[in-house]
Amino acid sequence: MSAASAVYGIVARDLARTTRQTSRLLGGLARPFIWLLLVGTGYDSIARIQSGVSYQTFVYPGVLIMAVLFGAMLTAIATVYDREFGMLRLMLASPAGLGAILLGRSLAAAAVGLVQGLVVLAAAPLLVEVTVAEFVASGATLAVAALSSSVLGLLVAARLRSVENFAGVINVVLFPLLFVSGALYPIAGMPQSLRTLALANPVTYQVDLMRHALGQPGEFAWSTDLGVLAATTAIIFGLATLLFDPEQRFFGARRTGR
Amino acid sequence: MNDAAPAVETEALGRDYGDTRALDGLNLVVPAGALVGLLGPNGAGKTTAMLLLATLLAPSRGVARIFGQDVSRRRHVVRRRLGLLFQETSIDGLLTVRENLLFAARLGGLGGRLARAAVSDAIERTGLGQFADRPAKTLSGGWRRLADVARATLHLPDLLILDEPTVGLDPEHRERMWNTIEAQRRERGTTVLFSTHYMAEAEPADRVVLLARGVMVADGSPADLRATIGDAVAEIEGEGAERLASALRGLGAARSAIRTGRGLRVGFAGPREAVVELAGAAPRIERLAIRPVSLEDVYFARTQVRSGDAA
Repeated sequence: MSAASAVYGIVARDLARTTRQTSRLLGGLARPFIWLLLVGTGYDSIARIQSGVSYQTFVYPGVLIMAVLFGAMLTAIATVYDREFGMLRLMLASPAGLGAILLGRSLAAAAVGLVQGLVVLAAAPLLVEVTVAEFVASGATLAVAALSSSVLGLLVAARLRSVENFAGVINVVLFPLLFVSGALYPIAGMPQSLRTLALANPVTYQVDLMRHALGQPGEFAWSTDLGVLAATTAIIFGLATLLFDPEQRFFGARRTGR
Repeated sequence: MNDAAPAVETEALGRDYGDTRALDGLNLVVPAGALVGLLGPNGAGKTTAMLLLATLLAPSRGVARIFGQDVSRRRHVVRRRLGLLFQETSIDGLLTVRENLLFAARLGGLGGRLARAAVSDAIERTGLGQFADRPAKTLSGGWRRLADVARATLHLPDLLILDEPTVGLDPEHRERMWNTIEAQRRERGTTVLFSTHYMAEAEPADRVVLLARGVMVADGSPADLRATIGDAVAEIEGEGAERLASALRGLGAARSAIRTGRGLRVGFAGPREAVVELAGAAPRIERLAIRPVSLEDVYFARTQVRSGDAA
């Protein structure tokens, strides 16, 4: 019971924090719409996708994933604030245990990402043709992508010591994850080196699953996407747990105890 | 659970950060219900000792037990009995005080009505009622610190570990904080281990442990530690201070001597009249003041001796 209470407590706290940071929340919601309107509309006139759909239709699944990816990863990475300001120490000293704390953080981050993704999805009828079934499937895909993105954020936060690195993380981690995922252009047309990177990138499978959900042709079977995302989420969560407390493990001396 | 065991027991406890020995060979026994002060200069190893006991650091050497439970092997059991307060505040400014406390209660494993009742009790104990539903960022530093105390005590821990709990607090909030902690001791027999740089705060302690450069240099009741300095302290200023101190040593009266900016601070035993008489006859003494021994004298005597600064 104590672990469940701790997970609930962490999720409740993170959601309360998110709703009170209005400018951050609005910025997070505005980002995908700005991309859709500016990049989507602009590229629509010059880019034609092989399947014949408009660029805006092609990029919409990617923008949905972008909303989730940024929302969930940035919330998870915000763990670094807790580390810097002592809150993480309080959490680690609780009887809940590191696993429950990280689970709570990832669920909270996923919830924030999911909400941001759902707002973009709610605008779907205005932007693309979508059936009720596709709408529901897209909502479920957002939930899967939110969990997958949140553990990626935790992995980054596991080693990040200071909030000063935050902007760097967005440029060095978030944008490459998005750009090398097939969200903005098909991975089939990428050079081999980028294509290899895309195949190792969990966001690629999030985008692909979203394409299936919205009735667009995917690069892989939807079951492959789901399998890869389930496996990478579990592996990355495990890796984040190990990296969070390398003391007495494999990575040498650090300060925090499990 | 072993309630007959001491609240804290360490054997040759040590911790290194790379090549630096932050704490070494700490042998400490704190009986249940005691109030123990941990003193020492910055970098003495106080916070490291507390983090080790709080299960947040793994020892490089030695063993630490809380109520008989090994802090390395039985972390989850130990954590249930601990209330922790660190130097930095752990109150989230975006949440209200009540929400902060609910968060802490849930982290501690309390849920639903139990958590809400514990939070209400903690708010009442610390006098935070008027601020309970205000965002914590609107509170003064003193009230935020009291919210920290409410957070550390809301699950009624058996051992409170407080790392410089009153740093930066005004006298009113400092007193309010100690009153809250004292009430916990009186009503529940809570053991308290605290570190401080305010010597006056350590005076009411049952025991004072002095650390310097990661090593324990003194351990005893404030009265016993003061007795090691002498019956009184002579503050001697002027160029002749060293000669007067030598004369006191020659008489066998001087127990300790510490250099100060203007002369010497000599702890002595025996009648103070003899010291006054000797000083009166000594040349180039600008000022002589005799006063009771304080814990600050013990602090300087023990920590400076290790630095090689003693006279």
